[in-house]
Amino acid sequence: MMKTSFKQNLQAYLFLAPALVLFAVFSFWPVGYGSYLAFTDYSLIKPTHWVGLDNFRYIFDNAMFVAGLRNSLLFLLIVPIIQIGAITLAVLVNNRLPGIRLFRAAFYVPVVTTISVVGIMWGFMFHEQGTLNYVLLQLRLVNQPVGWLSDDSIALFAVMFVTVWRGLGWYMVMYLAGLQAVPAEMQEAAILDGANRWQRFWKITVPMLRPTIMVCSIMSVLAALKAYQEVLVLTQGGPLNATFTALYYAYDQGLKHLKLPRGLAASFVVSICCVAIMLLCLRYIKPKHR
Amino acid sequence: MVSKRLLAAGLVALSMVASQAAQATQAMQNIEFWTMSLKPKFVPYFETLVKRYEAQNPGVTIEWIDFPGDLIQTKLVTRIVAGTPPALVNLNVPWADEYARDGLIVPVDQLMGAAKSTYAKAAIDDLTFSGKTYGFPLYSNVTVIAYNTSLFKEAGLTLPPQSLDEQLAFSMKIYAKTGEAGFSPSLAKADGFMLQQGLPIVKDGKAVFNSPQHVALVEKLAVAYKAGGILKDNLFSEDNFPAAIAAYNGGRLAMLSAPPTAVKRIETDAKDIYAITDVAPAPLGPTGIVDGGWLIHFAVPTGVDAKLMPAIAKFARYLTNDENQLAFDKLANVFPTTIAAANDPYFQRLPVNAGASEKAVAIGAESMKRSRTLYVAGIDDYDELRRSLVNAIEAGVTGKQDPKAALDAAVAIWNKKLATQAH
Repeated sequence: MMKTSFKQNLQAYLFLAPALVLFAVFSFWPVGYGSYLAFTDYSLIKPTHWVGLDNFRYIFDNAMFVAGLRNSLLFLLIVPIIQIGAITLAVLVNNRLPGIRLFRAAFYVPVVTTISVVGIMWGFMFHEQGTLNYVLLQLRLVNQPVGWLSDDSIALFAVMFVTVWRGLGWYMVMYLAGLQAVPAEMQEAAILDGANRWQRFWKITVPMLRPTIMVCSIMSVLAALKAYQEVLVLTQGGPLNATFTALYYAYDQGLKHLKLPRGLAASFVVSICCVAIMLLCLRYIKPKHR
Repeated sequence: MVSKRLLAAGLVALSMVASQAAQATQAMQNIEFWTMSLKPKFVPYFETLVKRYEAQNPGVTIEWIDFPGDLIQTKLVTRIVAGTPPALVNLNVPWADEYARDGLIVPVDQLMGAAKSTYAKAAIDDLTFSGKTYGFPLYSNVTVIAYNTSLFKEAGLTLPPQSLDEQLAFSMKIYAKTGEAGFSPSLAKADGFMLQQGLPIVKDGKAVFNSPQHVALVEKLAVAYKAGGILKDNLFSEDNFPAAIAAYNGGRLAMLSAPPTAVKRIETDAKDIYAITDVAPAPLGPTGIVDGGWLIHFAVPTGVDAKLMPAIAKFARYLTNDENQLAFDKLANVFPTTIAAANDPYFQRLPVNAGASEKAVAIGAESMKRSRTLYVAGIDDYDELRRSLVNAIEAGVTGKQDPKAALDAAVAIWNKKLATQAH
């Protein structure tokens, strides 16, 4: 019995080996080595020394990183919005209506649109003389153009909106797959028992979607904390650091200005936040045992 | 016996051929040079240049690689660390200053030799740090003002501005009369902006940009901003040029402060606006320096094979000589850094029926004599410090904070950093 178990385990590990080697080389090693470098003065051109928490002290003393961390946490506001929006869309496009596939594809287009195109397009839309302000002015909803990306009190929300817009289609597809896995018999049985549409949604659909909700929530929490692409193409952290996110700061320092230890220290902090929030998600939205 | 002799003779012949081949291989010198964001437009230019040089210099092979501006630094540092740097690399002046301090590029005074006197003094001065020259100047640029004569006329203006004060006053008047913004200063380069106005950033190792004169400058900008004279689109982003030229091409901006290349772009992208565009020199600051100088040069990285140096020096001089600079400048609408090329009739004579584009080149060539790359040399983390200055100006100009308080806060950040560098 022991021998069979060992043999089975060995076989399993051998099958896993190629993927594990790839993970080790391209994920575990960079993460481990990068984390180590966050505690050094690594500079590519000079000998590396251990500097303890110096890089962390530097970034926490820096207004841009502090603003970035606060904004990254604020970005978490998009998680419930994106999840509720995606579930709603998934329920809507789950109906068998003529042309519904067109809608499914349309909602998915932002997911496959490259970030540079997103930047140009939303740059035009959010421009002071752009489409959005034109429409609002024509409808007389505002008296003067809104500085969507130039007013520091609203720029972050404009960037967050683009993140929601980009992510909605992806989560919609995930929920659609979850919805289609809900057994039709359960719905039929509930109908026979006299349950209305609302009751069926809350008593059958939502509980059955719970594993999908957990996965999607974790993914969107991580995506929110790691948001930087939209910042890069729309605002580069401005106005007045209002749209700096922690990861954009890491990119800015590590890759743009080649201050790698600072960038890595910022990434390390973001990683800690990601793990902590992921553990919270796992604790509170774990699927119930059936 | 005969066959043994034949065999021996064959071996000797073979070894001689092999030895000659080896010598030929050893004699072949490969020079790799990097440019910044010049593909695809300049592929024919550089390919012709390389072929001609290889034909004139047997035994030398040239390899040209072009990198986008945002990648070239990472690639360069990586290759220097790996011990395989390119022979020559395109850099701008602030990068060269930082690399020279870090020992990543080498002085080229000896490599330049007598050719040094062929380059414009301002270009050599830009590239001289601690008494040593760190690059072969390639080209530079300068700002001119392209202005919309129709908006000027509507605002009752007939002449272009002669000073920053006038430019701000004109901008407010234009907005009041036409509803369109007057101009879009490059406030992300606030350091250069202040230096051009004769206002120092650092003095005796301390930041001094919170003086009453500095505050007054920010207040002037704030007044124009509030009055609608300044274009708000991407005003404080690292590069506000795309937003500014888009606004100018759309008839939403009266004055575009930009290099002559921009006027060429207006001609291509917005023919109706180009038809009503005239060009004037950018106002000189009290320093007599014109805005927009941005010298690009070829630097020699650390770690290049010493035996290659004479060949590198010869090729660098070839790349940046009068003839080749002139050919490149005509293609790119930029300005030469050699004295002879700058005096070429192309830059001196305005053709009959010259359009705004040709006029921009002639005006730019005249302004080049007063062009310098304006920034503060010798400071670590300069970009980050500059960002705090830009943030302060943004806060002051947009009215988010009192200009004096905003500049005081930025000065404190600078001085904290400068104090650590002093130790």
